[in-house]
Amino acid sequence: MSTTPSGNGRKRLLHLEQVHKRFQMGEVAVEALRDICLDVQEREFLVMVGPSGSGKTTILNILGGIDVVTSGKVWFRDQDMTSVTAAELTRYRRETVGFVFQFYNLVPNLTARENVMVSTEISRSPLDVSEALRLVELEDRQDHFPSQLSGGEQQRVAIARAIAKDPLLLLCDEPTGALDFATGIRVLRLLVDLKEKLGKTIVLITHNGAIAPVADRVVRLRSGQIVEVHANPTPVPPEEISW
Amino acid sequence: MSALDRKLARDLRGAAGMLLAITGIIVVGVTCFVGLSSAYVNLAESKRRYYEQCRMADFSVELKKVPLAELAPLAELPGVAAIRPRIQFYAAVDLPEVAEPLNGLVLSLPDRPQPIINDVVLRRGSYFTDRRENEVLVSESFAQYHRLRPGQWIHLLLNNRRQEVFIVGTAISSEFVYLLGPGRVTPDPKHFGVFYLKQSFAEDVFDFSGAANQVLGRLEASRGGDPREVLRRAETILSAYGVFSTTPLEEQFSNRFLSNEIRGLQTFATITPTMFLAVAALVLNVLLTRLTQQQRTTIGTLKAVGYSDWQLFWHLEKLGLSVGVLGGLLGCGLGYWLAGAMTGLYRLFFQFPDFQNEFSPWIHAAGLAISVACAVLGSLRGSRAVLKLRPAEAMRPAAPRQGGAVLLERVAWFWKSLDSGWRMVLRNVLRNRVRTLAGIFAAAMGASVLVNAWMMADAMTYFLDFQFRHVLRSDIDLTFKDEHGEDALLEAARLPGVDRAEPFLSVACTFRNGPYEKKGSITGLVPGAQLTVPRDLQERPARIPRAGLAMTRTLADILHLARGDTVTIEPVKGLRIACEVPVAEIAESYLGTSVYADLHYLNRLVNEEFALSGVQLTLDGDPGRRAALDRQLKELPALQAVGAREDIIQGIEETVLKHQWVVIDIMVFFAGVVFFGSILNASLVSLAERQREVATLRVLGYGPWQIGTLLLRESMIITLIGAVLGMPLGYALTAFTAWAYNTELFRLPIIATTGTWLWTLVLAVMFGLVAHMFVQRAIHRMAWPDALKAQE
Repeated sequence: MSTTPSGNGRKRLLHLEQVHKRFQMGEVAVEALRDICLDVQEREFLVMVGPSGSGKTTILNILGGIDVVTSGKVWFRDQDMTSVTAAELTRYRRETVGFVFQFYNLVPNLTARENVMVSTEISRSPLDVSEALRLVELEDRQDHFPSQLSGGEQQRVAIARAIAKDPLLLLCDEPTGALDFATGIRVLRLLVDLKEKLGKTIVLITHNGAIAPVADRVVRLRSGQIVEVHANPTPVPPEEISW
Repeated sequence: MSALDRKLARDLRGAAGMLLAITGIIVVGVTCFVGLSSAYVNLAESKRRYYEQCRMADFSVELKKVPLAELAPLAELPGVAAIRPRIQFYAAVDLPEVAEPLNGLVLSLPDRPQPIINDVVLRRGSYFTDRRENEVLVSESFAQYHRLRPGQWIHLLLNNRRQEVFIVGTAISSEFVYLLGPGRVTPDPKHFGVFYLKQSFAEDVFDFSGAANQVLGRLEASRGGDPREVLRRAETILSAYGVFSTTPLEEQFSNRFLSNEIRGLQTFATITPTMFLAVAALVLNVLLTRLTQQQRTTIGTLKAVGYSDWQLFWHLEKLGLSVGVLGGLLGCGLGYWLAGAMTGLYRLFFQFPDFQNEFSPWIHAAGLAISVACAVLGSLRGSRAVLKLRPAEAMRPAAPRQGGAVLLERVAWFWKSLDSGWRMVLRNVLRNRVRTLAGIFAAAMGASVLVNAWMMADAMTYFLDFQFRHVLRSDIDLTFKDEHGEDALLEAARLPGVDRAEPFLSVACTFRNGPYEKKGSITGLVPGAQLTVPRDLQERPARIPRAGLAMTRTLADILHLARGDTVTIEPVKGLRIACEVPVAEIAESYLGTSVYADLHYLNRLVNEEFALSGVQLTLDGDPGRRAALDRQLKELPALQAVGAREDIIQGIEETVLKHQWVVIDIMVFFAGVVFFGSILNASLVSLAERQREVATLRVLGYGPWQIGTLLLRESMIITLIGAVLGMPLGYALTAFTAWAYNTELFRLPIIATTGTWLWTLVLAVMFGLVAHMFVQRAIHRMAWPDALKAQE
């Protein structure tokens, strides 16, 4: 069983306890996660690294409430997330979590501004749409459709959509995976700023180990298990990393 | 507008072509529902109001002559609310500018206006005045045709005397909503009208002082309208006065035609829209399942963002709802127009004082509700399927569909003979079961509508031909007021232009077999008659036995008779002696309750030597002699009616047949919308799903026409299978229509010609090709290189 070291004074936001996840893909059963124990602390930048198929996306989905465990427990603060109803899970996603996907997942026939509105319209206390777009430096492209934006711009719209709800937690699934190096660095800088200036908790998964130094803590995964967790007392600015 | 609603609006625009095609099918269904239902309400309500206004009789008794003083027991019968005796006779009508003989039914009305049973509604002029005895009210349609106005004089042959009468007005009555002259099947205002005389004048001119030969009656409301018991007792009470017939309202000719039509409308207001809306729901189901699959990732993302299942379900359902609302609104509008057109058509046949296309809010509301329900049901499968997924699963690409061989591949010799194109086509058709079945169902419905429309047209054309060219072969039928002897036949044969004259005897009687009874008549024909040749359904001449009766299967079934049984007949005229008669022949016939016998045998049954009711004539075709014949016939006082076969045929052709083609055009259009909509939808959905496959084929070197051919093969297979399956459905629908409209008097033949089947297939293919043009255009316009890169 893997464990996480105790935090550096930060409160525990999420706790996974002996989590297993099995998928049925047609006739084949896949053990995506095995015996995972993991904490996510408030206002930390947590990076999970591992090759394709190591279970990173599965953990992220479970943390985000968009998938459920086969066995084990998931705690959000004091709440046992494995025994909540579907409606409570929806509320959790709506109020607590912002998701950023590798391929952006923008609605193709909505403009940048409208894609952000999709998020603010269901949120109880959202950021102003223009403010969210300003934070990602896209206020002058807000009336463009995704097909009219570059990959980096689309990713920034996706980030704006995620943060417009003012969530506690930002979950990022390979946010730089489809971007060139320079754009990827820009996105990382944005995420780091969100953590430092707005106090967001960021969980980022990637197969690109070069990104790990940016994190406060790094979790390494292989074959559905945590193989290493180490703290990073001096995170490196995104501009100083390269791949 | 919320972001999701903007997305919805753009989704609708993006799929506009396909959605409009489905909307078209919904429009057709709702149009049929609103149009037929509104026409039904228009007709039923007009009937109800008119019958109430005119105090329509619940029954009538026709008899030889009864003193008015003897009617008190009838009025006092339990259940009888009121009676009204009147005088009725047929008469010849002499209009100076009309060469041919015209017929009329003369009825008496009170000298002064008062509320009466079977009252009249004045249309022009006034009721009778005190200025003249010989005033007349003329039926409006006859007056309009012949441009007769109040203030004109005309002549009627009343009681063998030529009488001049003064028109004071024109009128209509609820008892003649569908005004038929003797021997007619459609209204014929040119040759037949109703003439209302003052009671006092009628009594005088027909020698009926203080007497009547018809009694009309109304029942108490509590009886619920069933007059049979009353009529049985009436017949007993009035038996001494020569009761010819007793007629409940449901058997009164005009009411029967009207009620039959109303009943038919009610039936088809349910069946026809259901067929179209079922197709729309299925086709919408296919489209929306595809659209929601396409949005799988977006739906998953929205769930991840925090949208609830219900919010997303509602968002997806709004897509279907939009189609339902648009289709419903357009269908309601077109349905109102259709009802107006049908009402206009009915005005040619049915006469009401006020017959308008009324707007029924509840019918339109129901039409809209049905449309929305159909669309919502059609969208359910697609909406539910994606919503059942968890967000993470929704964002993962869908698991590849089951591969593997299809059933046809087991027929190895056949499969090997196919090229890769045909293999792709057949596998697609067999693997997409829901889509294929939806397409087959839609094509079957379209084909069945076409088959039904053409078979109905063929039935009417055939019936016209059968009845008026094979059974009735005379040019002119003369019907006398009373029976005459052989001298009348000889006189008729000597009329100008007459080639052949054959007598007939018509004996009205009651048929009885134990507890079973039916009023009708027997027609006596000379052996070897050429001018009336009764035929069975296979057009074979029915054998008229030398002794005994030849009757139709319908009447035999009513009386529970088989060939060889005996039936009791009781003539209503003459000595009225009941006798037992063998049933020598029973044949299927389109005319429900006809009975034939040898003329001489029938004469013996009624104790006559050689009585005849009329003579059938064929003419030599010389126009000069025809004109002379018409002049002479006008002068013959003994005639009750003169019927010219060509006039009857023309009447049917100009009314029923001509408008039938309008109906057929509409049904062909509706069927076309169904074929077009379903084929276009299925093909475009298929194309959208296989963009990457199409792009790959383009890379390999296939041109857009070759790719189009693959999709065309798929749609043609489905269309042709559906069309072939739809043909027996159409046949069954026609059989049902015939059953719905059949009465004891008349049944529609069921005619299926090779042309019907061929044209159905041809039109199905044609509509399919038209739909494919749009698909081909989409293939030409497709940005296929992008399809190689894009994720769905």
